[in-house]
Amino acid sequence: MAADSRTARGLRRVPQTTPPERERQREGGSEKKPRRRRTRLKYQLFSLGQGLDMPLFVFIMVLLAVGLVMLFSASYADSYFRQNDSYYYIKRQAFFAVAGVVAMLLISTFDYHQFHKLVLPIAGITIAMLLAVVLFGRILKIDEIAPPEGVARRWLAIGPIQFQPSEIAKFTIILIFAHMISINAGKMQTFRHGVVPFLGVLALFGVLIFLEHHMSGTLIVLLIGGAMMFVGGTQPRWFVLGISVLAVGLVCYLLFGGSYQIDRVVGWLDPFNAPADVDTYQTRQSLYAIGSGGFLGLGLGQSRQKYLYLPAPQNDFIFAIICEELGMVGAMAIMVLFGVLIWRSMYVSLKAKDRFGMMLGLGITFQVGIQAVLNICVVTNTIPNTGISLPFFSAGGTALMMLLGEMGILLNISRSANVEKT
Amino acid sequence: MPKGFAERMRSKAIGLTAALIIGGFGAATASLFHWQIVRGEEMRTAAMDQSLRSTTLPAMRGSIYDATGTKVLAQSADVWTVVLEPFFVAGDENLRRTIASGLAPILDLDEEELYEKTGKKDSYYEVIKRKIETDTRDAVNQFLVDNEIDSGIRLIDDYKRYYPYGRVASNILGFTGMDGNGLEGLELYYDDELSGTPGRMVSARNGWNLDMPFEKEQMIPAEDGNDLVLTIDETVQSILKKYLAEGIEKYQVKNGGVAIMMDVNTGGILGLSTSPDYDPNDPFTVLDERLLAEIEELPEDEQDEAYSAALNRQWRNKAVADTYIPGSVFKMCVGSMGLEEGLIEETSMWTCTGGVHFDGMKDDISCWKHEGHGATTFREGLCNSCNPWFMHIGDLLGAETFAKYREAFGFTEKTSIDLPGESNSIYHSVDGLGPVELACEAFGQNFTITPVQMITASCAIANGGNLVRPHVVDRVVDQEGNIVKTADTTYRRQVISAETAATITDILKQNAESGSGSGGYVMGYRVCGKTGTSEKVDKHNEDPTQPMEYIVSYCGFAPAEDPQYALLVFFDEPDGDACGINPGGNAMAGPIFSKIMEEVLPYLGVDAQYTQEEYDQLDLVSPSVVGKTLEEAYSQLESMGLTYSVIGDESDLDIVVTQQIPESGASVPKGGKVVLYTEGYDENGIYVQVPDLTGFDLANASYVATINGLQVSVKGASVDGSMVTLQSIAPGEEVKLGTVITLTFAENINTDGHVELDE
Repeated sequence: MAADSRTARGLRRVPQTTPPERERQREGGSEKKPRRRRTRLKYQLFSLGQGLDMPLFVFIMVLLAVGLVMLFSASYADSYFRQNDSYYYIKRQAFFAVAGVVAMLLISTFDYHQFHKLVLPIAGITIAMLLAVVLFGRILKIDEIAPPEGVARRWLAIGPIQFQPSEIAKFTIILIFAHMISINAGKMQTFRHGVVPFLGVLALFGVLIFLEHHMSGTLIVLLIGGAMMFVGGTQPRWFVLGISVLAVGLVCYLLFGGSYQIDRVVGWLDPFNAPADVDTYQTRQSLYAIGSGGFLGLGLGQSRQKYLYLPAPQNDFIFAIICEELGMVGAMAIMVLFGVLIWRSMYVSLKAKDRFGMMLGLGITFQVGIQAVLNICVVTNTIPNTGISLPFFSAGGTALMMLLGEMGILLNISRSANVEKT
Repeated sequence: MPKGFAERMRSKAIGLTAALIIGGFGAATASLFHWQIVRGEEMRTAAMDQSLRSTTLPAMRGSIYDATGTKVLAQSADVWTVVLEPFFVAGDENLRRTIASGLAPILDLDEEELYEKTGKKDSYYEVIKRKIETDTRDAVNQFLVDNEIDSGIRLIDDYKRYYPYGRVASNILGFTGMDGNGLEGLELYYDDELSGTPGRMVSARNGWNLDMPFEKEQMIPAEDGNDLVLTIDETVQSILKKYLAEGIEKYQVKNGGVAIMMDVNTGGILGLSTSPDYDPNDPFTVLDERLLAEIEELPEDEQDEAYSAALNRQWRNKAVADTYIPGSVFKMCVGSMGLEEGLIEETSMWTCTGGVHFDGMKDDISCWKHEGHGATTFREGLCNSCNPWFMHIGDLLGAETFAKYREAFGFTEKTSIDLPGESNSIYHSVDGLGPVELACEAFGQNFTITPVQMITASCAIANGGNLVRPHVVDRVVDQEGNIVKTADTTYRRQVISAETAATITDILKQNAESGSGSGGYVMGYRVCGKTGTSEKVDKHNEDPTQPMEYIVSYCGFAPAEDPQYALLVFFDEPDGDACGINPGGNAMAGPIFSKIMEEVLPYLGVDAQYTQEEYDQLDLVSPSVVGKTLEEAYSQLESMGLTYSVIGDESDLDIVVTQQIPESGASVPKGGKVVLYTEGYDENGIYVQVPDLTGFDLANASYVATINGLQVSVKGASVDGSMVTLQSIAPGEEVKLGTVITLTFAENINTDGHVELDE
């Protein structure tokens, strides 16, 4: 294909030297131009002996590096006052970043086809953990095992290790759907195969995460699942139907959910004149931060709003601090970075040599894309506040480890992706 | 994988991803444009507003200087306010206890109360002590360093007012309140000038109201207040204060007193001392012993109220805020009116029969001299302070003309002196001035004015007829030394002609030398003066069982040939029984007037010019003969016309004098004696007790002094009939033989009419 040869520079063939047994894949095209040989040598430095997609890898590392810098800038004031240590968040995040990059590189050498076999165990473990959160958090209310966070219970603590099963669930959904779509490839158009099982899985995960009072997690799982079904071949009419049902439900919810829900919408539309019972403090502080940045920003580290005005600036609202310090220019640069990463990972996924790899990669792509878009839209008050973290930026060990792990899978997919593949 | 199917998947994935990126980030970019660019300024301002805190920076209050420009009467110095920030310490029990137990003794606070305050965990600002001074601040800082406390206690700059001369000018200066605003006196009247403009410090604070680490503070510096340079001269003021206090004590004055000295030409007040007074450094303490004694006598439940009443009384400027009956001092004005209108001349005659009868009155209004002065000229009448003479002038003037001049002399309006709380005078309107009222006002009775009004009117006579505005502040100077404002002499109006003024001046000079005002006579200084003894008739009428109370005053100016300085001294309710002197302006206020003039005039550069008679009375300066042989001493003393006596061994003319009384440099009367001490005198035998000479005439006083081995130096007019009112050494004190006692003589006659009005 013409399009394939145009972008072949970035795609790797399996090198002829020291191919691991597991990764023994079919060789690509037979041309051996001198130019390609040079580039291959260069990429070997990064490739752990394999050919991973260098642009994708570079985009990941750049976003991660920028994310760490901005996390430090956004968090040090708040963590100084609340944790008595300016470096509290950056130390943790840097640790998880390093561990995550190591994990990513390791996973990138792990043949993703193995996940076919691991679907059931992973699904089982994930469901078990989600159940555990619900059981210990909602039913038994044991704070030691399922520490509360506001009204939500999303954490599971096993000894000193704390993590969010819902973060794992996002990947699990991707994995299950990629698996199901790849084995149902021919029957996706049917209701029985293309809708029912998927809805069943989505319902199970959705309800479990919903029971954690983790709305954003539920929403993201539904969106990722929906997107994968759409690409995987489920008939568009079911989406029209589903979206219609959801829209009617939403309207009913707003109309009959009482004036509080209307107030929330009003508060979102005009956060500076919100009804008294709608707390728009975080949104207002976020907009103060964004507005303070102007076109060029106050400069790195110069945010005022991170000084205990904007709540949790290292988490969901880190993008507001980016807007304040780097201005509209910096914010758009970050969005461009996300855009090229998402586009590249989609591209790599589409080049996967089989449908499972493609769907797995696309699922991961959608996850990153949906989270980044939703987070930035929330912070800029484009959509109502839902509490979604920004990939690569927001503080959070589980999310970062999972993200980098997923990036490892994408990189692994890139190793075996083939431009000549049809 | 079927190709068509894969293609569809591919295009769906690309479409979905593109929609997500373009739609999502596009919408976000639109939002960013809205919030960062369109409403960016609004957001920026709102963010600034919530993070900026503005602190007021106190302006340094201007200083107050005396007329010399070198003596600082009031100034502000740095102090600090200790602020506790409980938020930072509330959680630490040990720290709370450390702070409470450590700071309580340093700041003189109750430890438990302080401990309670440290527990207010929601508070960032608790003032625990105001206006601590440098040493206390150092102690606090040391405590913080020693205990490694770096947050929770803050010291904030402030200023405190100091009055280096203490009580000397308290009633002029006033004082300031806790927040530095003027509450009394010049501090109040010139508060706007002195206080300056406070600055502001705008600093960025984080969400917990703490300083942002890197934000620059924006300072609008405070504009310090302007300085005042007064017409008050600290030396003059101190002299006034000293002698006023002496009079208050000597005459057992119950209701305080006033001494004002004024430049007759400019209206500048050189000194203004009132009693009771206070220490402006500590205005809330009653210092006057008489007031304190009065409070003590009250039942306990009334003492608090009485104490605050006493505070108010001691803060009052009696010279401005209180009115008094001027009495016969006012006659200088009435005489001027008569002369000015041409109704009388210096030589006009009138016969005093001892009283004047008015229709409808049971008793005559009498002269102080009940048998009458007989036929006298106007000059004699003023020197005699003859009441009927002045009732006669009042009659000649008529109510309307009298009222016109009364107004012209400024008795019916405020002088607009630059001190707060000036009181209005109380007098009969033209319509209310019936023959009796007119007669009484004509000799100074039955109306009240402020002391400042009286001295201002006397200045008009002294300076050739111009009524000037009295003032205390000479100029206002900013911190760069530029003059912001000057108090130029303000001539309010010409009241009387220069000729009239000169005539009255000349009569008053005679009056002070040999008339009823001789108590104010100052040797060598040609003073002009008029006495006043007014009866507090109203008070007496209210409670006739109490004896009549008097106001004794003396008002005059000097030197007669070119008057420069006017002085008014008055005592409110002296206790004649207790001090052994009949209440009278001449006997009581006169000597104080004399002493002040005698000390102040040389300081102000007015030279003494002695008449031959006065020169003869002048004391000599005792020579130094200690260390000389008796022979040398004898010849030296003889050459000066002094006598001598020897105590101790005088067997040989070569014996050396070891001591002399009066000592070298002290004054000794002409023809007086110097007592020489030589080796071997009896230490115990040479001391004598000073006798009480008050009330003695010159001959008797000299005799008693001499038999006690003391010598007498005479001050004041020792005219016939005058007697000792003040003596330089208090009775009962032990002094060495030969010591010179200065006696101040004054005529002791109540020269004012006893008026019993039949209302």
